[in-house]
Amino acid sequence: MRYQRVINESELLDGLSQPGSLIVCGGTDVIVKMRAGMLQPTLLLDVTQIESLHGIQVDEGHLEIGAATLESDIMHSPLVNQHAPLLALVLRQLGSVQIRNRGTLAGNIVNASPAADGAIPLLLYEAEVQVVGPAQEQWVRLESFFTGPGKTTLSSGEFVRALRMPIGTDGFRTFFHKVGKRNALTIAIASLGLLLNIEQGAIQEIRIAVGSVAPTPRRLRKIESQLTGRALDAALPLEARDLITGAIAPISDIRATAAYRRNVIGDLFARALRSHLTQPL
Amino acid sequence: MRIQCTVNGKSVERDISPDLRLLDFIRETLQLTGTKEGCGEGECGACTVLLDGKAVNSCLVLAMQADGSVIITVEGLADGQALHPIQEAYVEVGAVQCGFCTPGFIMATYALLQDTPDPSEEEILAGLEGNLCRCTGYSKILDAVKLAARRMRESR
Ligand SMILES: Cc1cc2nc3c(=O)[nH]c(=O)nc-3n(C[C@H](O)[C@H](O)[C@H](O)COP(=O)(O)OP(=O)(O)OC[C@H]3O[C@@H](n4cnc5c(N)ncnc54)[C@H](O)[C@@H]3O)c2cc1C
Ligand code: FES
Ligand code: FES
Repeated sequence: MRYQRVINESELLDGLSQPGSLIVCGGTDVIVKMRAGMLQPTLLLDVTQIESLHGIQVDEGHLEIGAATLESDIMHSPLVNQHAPLLALVLRQLGSVQIRNRGTLAGNIVNASPAADGAIPLLLYEAEVQVVGPAQEQWVRLESFFTGPGKTTLSSGEFVRALRMPIGTDGFRTFFHKVGKRNALTIAIASLGLLLNIEQGAIQEIRIAVGSVAPTPRRLRKIESQLTGRALDAALPLEARDLITGAIAPISDIRATAAYRRNVIGDLFARALRSHLTQPL
Repeated sequence: MRIQCTVNGKSVERDISPDLRLLDFIRETLQLTGTKEGCGEGECGACTVLLDGKAVNSCLVLAMQADGSVIITVEGLADGQALHPIQEAYVEVGAVQCGFCTPGFIMATYALLQDTPDPSEEEILAGLEGNLCRCTGYSKILDAVKLAARRMRESR
């Protein structure tokens, strides 16, 4: 295996045109998989030093985050805490200090685990992924970027430059909970995130995303529209519980059974709505 | 491949294989065996070192990724024969039993106190969430961090 630290995007595109090449950024997924023999690249392209892949800014109504920006820098960024507080909250629960000091959100997304925690807030904030190839570059909606476990629409020869999300949810209430085996360093058995805009006791807008209960992290748009406009009354949490357990089709695996996952998501959803019910509106 | 970096204040230059991990570079190439390998997968923190001022798991970094960087390992904390206040505190309160996790905890503590000189209990727990200890039950470790933080603030 060869290793190359690429210093700009054109060097990266050159490297990506070679067979057997693979991008490494923080390496928290890539190095684990290489050691397990699951990945055998012949050329490792380290993108951590490419200037254009770094930084957090607000531009044209979007919060934009460079692909190589560390999770720890994203979590502490005042811009992120202001415009996407749920993202900062979720990152605090991703891995550990040491993992976040290497790991990146873009790596989390391209890795495309059904349990990717970073995907939950990004889906809720309607994030887009900037995909750059030799011939063109485009913004792809994260919802259509994931195609299956470990799979995305990224083709060989392409890389991710940045992620962005429209701002304008300041004041929305947030919820995120993942269930795993221990507090830190937990791969979610099931996770649920919400963005809620409540006005005069009614749901103006609700966005729901779940992890580890489908081949990819995903939004539950049908339930979102069923609940929009509903009064947040005492009957709602239990009704919502039934709605959500009916809407997901998790699988059983070594970490948990399908029934357990369905129950967990149902309970989390009911709990989230109940907690907003008891808060002064 | 040629790697050049600064380890515990000294510049080092070596020829290494590109698939060597930073952990192996430190332990085997440089023979600094204070840094430990527990899980080899980022879960236990025994291999924690400071890379350009940040705590990282050296088992999840390729040595070549540290080319040009500044690295501090547990061997870099003591000042000659005098232990660092963090090391002193761990020994004094009895936060060390088998000791295998200790270098990693000490480096994580060092990173925490560098950014947060007066951490709350919650901040200490968050700062050490990436480190596992199978012996102490953690409460002595918490005491050690608090003691070290106090002494380091006082001597400032
Ligand atoms: C101990 C441990 C605990 C963890 N805990 C969690 C957790 O709680 N929640 C969670 O969701 N994840 C967790 N992870 C997984 C991991 O830390 C994240 O997925 C991380 O965000 C990946 O980022 P990275 O920069 O390290 O990616 P890398 O490992 O460098 O890369 C991951 C993938 O993305 C590709 N890639 C990276 N950057 C780009 C780019 N710019 N363009 C195109 N492709 C790119 C790589 O080729 C590779 O396929 C954990 C991992 C470990 C080892
Ligand atoms: S050996 Fe590196 S985290 Fe366990
Ligand atoms: S003292 Fe033995 S593992 Fe911590």
